[in-house]
Amino acid sequence: MSNLRINFSKWMKTHFCGEYECLRGRATPGDEDAFPGLRLKWEREMGTAGWIGIGWPTEYGGKGASLDEIVGFNEEYACHGGPGRAGHIGETLLAPTIIAFGTEQQKARYLPGIKAGTEFWCQGYSEPNAGSDLSNIKTKARLENNQWVISGQKIWTSLAMDSDYIFVLARADEGSKGRHGLVFLLVQLNQPGIKIRPIKQMSGTSEFNEVFFDEAVCSHDDIIGDVGDGWKIAMALLGFERGASTLGQQMTFADEFRQIVDLAKSNGSAKNPLIRQRIAKSYAGLKIMRFTALRTLEAAEKGETTKEGYISKIFWSSWHRDLGELAMDVMGNEAEILVNGEYSKLQKLFLFSRSDTIYGGTNQIQRNIIAERALEMPKEPRGGGTVREG
Amino acid sequence: MVYPFNSDHEMIREALSGFLQDWYENGKGPERIYKSGKAFDREAWSGFSHDLGMVGVAISEDFGGSGLGDLGRVVVMEELGSSLCAIPFLTTGGQVVDIISKIATKQFKKEYLPKIARGEIQGVFSSGHVGKEKKCINSPNADTADFILISRLNDKLIEVVFLDASAPGLKINSKKTMDPTRSFCDVDWSQVSDTDFLLIGTVELDFFEGIISQSQIALAAECIGGAQKCLDMTLEYASQRVQFGRSIASFQAIKHRCADMFVLIEAARSAVYAAAVATDSEKTEAVLIAKANATEAYFKVAGDAIQLHGGIGFTWEYPLHLFFKRARANRTMFGVLSEDYKLLADNIFGDKL
Ligand SMILES: Cc1cc2nc3c(=O)[nH]c(=O)nc-3n(C[C@H](O)[C@H](O)[C@H](O)COP(=O)(O)OP(=O)(O)OC[C@H]3O[C@@H](n4cnc5c(N)ncnc54)[C@H](O)[C@@H]3O)c2cc1C
Repeated sequence: MSNLRINFSKWMKTHFCGEYECLRGRATPGDEDAFPGLRLKWEREMGTAGWIGIGWPTEYGGKGASLDEIVGFNEEYACHGGPGRAGHIGETLLAPTIIAFGTEQQKARYLPGIKAGTEFWCQGYSEPNAGSDLSNIKTKARLENNQWVISGQKIWTSLAMDSDYIFVLARADEGSKGRHGLVFLLVQLNQPGIKIRPIKQMSGTSEFNEVFFDEAVCSHDDIIGDVGDGWKIAMALLGFERGASTLGQQMTFADEFRQIVDLAKSNGSAKNPLIRQRIAKSYAGLKIMRFTALRTLEAAEKGETTKEGYISKIFWSSWHRDLGELAMDVMGNEAEILVNGEYSKLQKLFLFSRSDTIYGGTNQIQRNIIAERALEMPKEPRGGGTVREG
Repeated sequence: MVYPFNSDHEMIREALSGFLQDWYENGKGPERIYKSGKAFDREAWSGFSHDLGMVGVAISEDFGGSGLGDLGRVVVMEELGSSLCAIPFLTTGGQVVDIISKIATKQFKKEYLPKIARGEIQGVFSSGHVGKEKKCINSPNADTADFILISRLNDKLIEVVFLDASAPGLKINSKKTMDPTRSFCDVDWSQVSDTDFLLIGTVELDFFEGIISQSQIALAAECIGGAQKCLDMTLEYASQRVQFGRSIASFQAIKHRCADMFVLIEAARSAVYAAAVATDSEKTEAVLIAKANATEAYFKVAGDAIQLHGGIGFTWEYPLHLFFKRARANRTMFGVLSEDYKLLADNIFGDKL
C-alpha cells in the first residue's frame, strides 16, 4: 500500500466523522440533493487538507500521484463511505484539461478554486438537438469588445444548480458545421445572461438542469485553445474521465451489491434458487469489472495501448442497470412501498440506473465506438454529425 | 507484451499460432478430422509435442518442461481453441501432468514427466472413486492414451493408480460425439488384474477439486481462443459480403452484434487471466467466474457467428459448426453453468440451499 494511501486512510478516520457522519454512503447518483450545504463544507475540508487534485503535477499544487496511488486513494475514499464528490467535474475533468491546454493565466485563475474545494463546475455540452450527435450544437459565441457573448441553450447539465462555473462548447463561426468552428469557453454562472431551470428526473430528484444563455459573457481570455479547437478540447476532456475513478466507483457498486445480499438473507429470497443464480452472476460481473480495469491500468502503466478498455462503459452501465432490477426482485412486493413516502437507497438505485446506459455515451453509441474503433468496422453514415465519445 | 504475460509466453504464442494456423488453414485440419472419423490427429500431435515441445508447458523445468504453470497453459489452450486442433493436450498436458506433479514420487516423475513433455507417451485421468463400479463414463481422449491414471476408493482412502493402456482386460469404448474434435470414451478396468495397477499416491477428496480447478482454467482459455476466432471469422466475412449494395459490416445491426461479441470475449478474457494468476485464497472463486463466463461467452459468440454468416454458416463445409459444437461441449465439460453459479452463491451467502 502506498504512503499516500496510508496517510489518506488515517486522515479519513480522523476527519470523516462527527458532523459528517450523516454523509456516509450518501449523495450517490439519484441522491445528489442530500445535505447540499454540508457536502460543500466537506469539499472544503478535503481541499484544505490537500486531498483534491492529488494527481496534478506539484507545480499546480497537486501531489503528482501515480495512477496506482490515485486508484488506491479512490478505493480508500469509497471504503470509508465518503459521499459523492460535489467537485468531481472540476477536479477530474476540467482541471486536467486546463493543465494540458490552458494558459498560465487560466491555470493561476481556475486551479486554486478547484483545489480548495470552493469553486464548482458543470459541463455544458448537450443541447436539445445535440445529444449523441454532439457536433450538432447550436449555442453561439461571438467576440465583442474583448468579451465572448454567448446565446443559446444547454440541457441535461448535471449539478448546474450547485455550480459556480460552466464550461461551454459553443459555435463561434457562424455557418460552420459539425466539429468545425467550435470554441471551448469558461463561463461564470452567476450573471444576468444565464438562467438555470432544474429538470425533475424519474428518480424524483433534479440532478440535471436546463441552462439558458441570453447574451451571457465571459472574458476573451476565457477560451481554452483557439477558435476552431473546441471539438478537440471537448473530446480530450472526456478522455480524462476514463481509468482511475472506475475502481472507486466499483467500491460503491460492491456496497450496493452487499446491501442486496444482506436483504436477500433477511427476507428469505436467498432461498430462491433463481435469485441465488442471479446474485452469483452479478457478483461475477462485479469481479470482472475489477479484473478488466486492472488489465487496462497494467497496460497503461507499461505504455501499451489495449482494446479491452472499450468495454468498460457499456459493461458497467448494463451491469448496474441489471443490479437495480435484481434489487427490486429481491425486495419483492415491498419494492412498491415508499417507506415514509420516500425512495429508499435500492429504489433510487433501480430508478437512477436507467440513466447509466444513457449519459456519457449511450449503450448504442458505445457499440458504435467498439465496432468502429476496436473492431475497425465501417463508420456510420452520417449527415454531417460525428459520434460522441463521452 | 500485454498483461499478464511475459516474453516466454509471447514466444510460445508466436510459435504455436504459426504452427496451428498452418494446420487449420493450409493443412485443412478440420476436414481431415471428420474424414478420418478420429478425434486425434497424430501428425499434429507430433508437431505440437515433439517439434515444438509444448506438452510440457506446465511441467517443472526439473523434469523436462518449461515450468510456465497455469498461465503458460492458458496461452497454449487459447491457441488450441482458435484452431480446434484435435490433440489431447487438455488431458495429458493438463490433468495428468498436474496429478503426477503433485503426488508421484520423484523417481516416478523422473521417469514419466520428461517422456510426457516430449510427447512420447500420453495419458488421461479417469475418475473412479465416486461410484462403486470399476469404470469411468465419458473420459475424454482415452482411446488414444498410452496410459490411464485412475482414482479408486480403497476403504476410506482414495488411491491414484497407473495403468498401462495395453493391460489385458482393459476396455476402452470410444463413442461418437457431436463435437468430432474431442472423443469421449467409457473406460472399464473391472477385468484388469490387480497386479497391473501401479500405486502412485493416496489423496484426500478435495485433492481433485484443485485438479479440476486447474483444468477449468485451461478449458476457459480454450473458450476465449475459440470465441475470438469466431469473431475474427465473422468480421472478415462481414467485410467481404455485400448485400443491398454495401458490405454487411456497415449495417448497424451487424456492428452492434459484433460489439456485443467483443464485450463478452474481453470480459471473459479478464476473468480467465485473473484466474490464472490468482493467489491460492482467491483461486476457487476466480476459476468459477472464469469458467462460467468463458463457456457462456463462447457458446453465445459461436451461435452469433453462425447467424451473422447467413446460410454459409449453417453448412458442414464451413468450420463454424465445429466451433459451435465445441462450445456446446465445453459448457458441460467440468461441471455445468448453473452449478458454477450455485457454488459462487453458496460462497456469497455462506450457506447451502
Ligand atoms: C443523468 C444524466 C446526466 C447528464 N449530465 C450531463 C451533463 O452534465 N452535461 C452534458 O452536457 N450532458 C449531460 N447529459 C446528457 C447526455 O450526455 C445525453 O443524454 C446523451 O449523450 C444522449 O443524448 P440525447 O439524450 O440527446 O439522446 P439521443 O442522442 O437523441 O438518443 C436517443 C436514442 O437514439 C440512440 N442513438 C442516437 N444516435 C445513435 C446512433 N448513431 N446509432 C444508434 N443509436 C443512436 C441513442 O442510443 C438513444 O437510445 C446527461 C444525461 C443524463 C441522463
